[in-house]
Amino acid sequence: MKDIFTNPLIVKEMRERFRTRKTVWILALYLLVMGSLLLGFMYVLQLNELPMPGDNRELFVMTAVLQYALLCFIAPALAAGTISGERERQTLHVLMTTQLTPAQIVWSKLLTSLAFVFLLVVASLPLYSFVFLYGGISPKQLLLLMVFFAVNILFFGALGVFCSTWIKRTGVSTITAYGLAFFFVVGTGLLYVFLGLLLEELYPQQWLNDSVWGLTGLQILGELNPVLVMFELLGENLGPTFDEYFMTPWIFFTCCYVLLSVLLIWWSAFLLKPVRPGLRWK
Amino acid sequence: MIQTEHLSKRYGKLQALTDLNLNIDKGKVFGFIGPNGAGKSTTMLILSTLLTPSEGKAYVCGYDVVKEPKDVRQSLGYMPDFFGVYDNLKATEYLDFYAGAYNIPPAKRKSLIADLLELVNLSNKADAYVDSLSRGMKQRLGLARCLVHSPDVLILDEPASGLDPRARIEMREILKQLRRMNKTILISSHILPELAELCDEIGVIEKGKLIACGAVDDVSIRSRGISMMEVRTVFGAEKAERILRESRFVRQLDDKNSHFRIQFMGTEENKAELLQQLIAAGVGVVHFGDSRENLEDVFLAITEGVGN
Repeated sequence: MKDIFTNPLIVKEMRERFRTRKTVWILALYLLVMGSLLLGFMYVLQLNELPMPGDNRELFVMTAVLQYALLCFIAPALAAGTISGERERQTLHVLMTTQLTPAQIVWSKLLTSLAFVFLLVVASLPLYSFVFLYGGISPKQLLLLMVFFAVNILFFGALGVFCSTWIKRTGVSTITAYGLAFFFVVGTGLLYVFLGLLLEELYPQQWLNDSVWGLTGLQILGELNPVLVMFELLGENLGPTFDEYFMTPWIFFTCCYVLLSVLLIWWSAFLLKPVRPGLRWK
Repeated sequence: MIQTEHLSKRYGKLQALTDLNLNIDKGKVFGFIGPNGAGKSTTMLILSTLLTPSEGKAYVCGYDVVKEPKDVRQSLGYMPDFFGVYDNLKATEYLDFYAGAYNIPPAKRKSLIADLLELVNLSNKADAYVDSLSRGMKQRLGLARCLVHSPDVLILDEPASGLDPRARIEMREILKQLRRMNKTILISSHILPELAELCDEIGVIEKGKLIACGAVDDVSIRSRGISMMEVRTVFGAEKAERILRESRFVRQLDDKNSHFRIQFMGTEENKAELLQQLIAAGVGVVHFGDSRENLEDVFLAITEGVGN
């Protein structure tokens, strides 16, 4: 922990990021969008009937989905310019001649870009207190949701940093990061549904009464889809339910995505190494 | 302090550097001269541990640039030809960041940064944001950044490029001061005359090959039987130009209205002959004499015909 506060790159990045007006505006806009939608829906829902205990569950789900959508939009973009931005500003060469290792650079860049996204999440926490007003949500559910968000932020950040290291231009790196994030958020879900329906249509006798969704391969694919896992976590049924094999779906999801994030960070550090035997630095 | 042995670099089919052998002693200032794409920056990138050589070895302060990059980085300060600065950072914060990146303890940084800013004449800009500084100031701040960990070797790629005359003079004075501090400096520049009085040795590089290397006097064009001459006229400039162009002793002619600068290949008698020719043709010659050669002349004389 001490390293975080003494790491020069983290200190520098924090100074740079949090000094700009842009940061304040993004935070304000984020809270405005989140707050307006939440309060707007609360107002509309109570127009014709008095809110009953537990009624706000829908609002909670809606807030969580909205926040997740915003995170999917913000986290890759913030991280996708970290290394390519240094390259474009022509500061990367100089940075690489210091005693900072590529791993330190990648890790520090990721941490500082994620710090802002975490700030957005933490700043939006009071909005959830509106949902708590009428009950229906347990603190454990909110806590699990925050852990789920944290894992997703880490993954999207690692994905963004990887694209930023791999691709020279920030614009292209951001688009690639969005594309990859889209694959994980939407693509895996579509693939899950498509494969399930395909098997059902091809072998109708073998897979009766939705039994195809119990296939281990499909279950694993489904548990890798953030949207399905989030709804499972929120207690909402978006489709076929997941069976518990050796761990609960959201723990399996967390383990897989943390592992993927670590792999992407390691790969980014490798790509950033200026001198690699047999390979040329771009 | 800097040594290369048969250093080569290929980018695919392009041979950027071929069999470069350099040996720069401690405290020497070595000027690297060559056109764009000659291989100067490639050499500097390899020495700064930012590029892997295709063949050969390179050492900085005795450390192998490929095998011991960490030690090499601690021993050198590198300033690229183009470099950016960070927005929203003050000059002191900028230097503090790099001091931290070189593991300099926080307690020592304040006085170190003050000394460095004084060295590069930026003490009055300590609290200014770096992106608000002029290009010359940014270059000087970049030089201060190179010195933050007190390296023995400085690798400066075109430090004077894009600077106005005043900024160039300021930069040159700082480099002279660094020379007095016994730093070993490898410097490249397009502003060649600026290097002449600064360098102990020069190396001329063209198409990836070192075609001349040694002390400034050794590489002098005078040692090759060529002398630089100036001819100034008050009338008959057109006639003078024709005579000079047709003369078998004149290799190159630089015409600035009635002020000619020529590369002369011949004896003292040949010079007298040329002067007589000009006067006989009715040219009003007011000055006919040797000119101080500069590195541009050296470069043009040496690289003539190379690569054709």
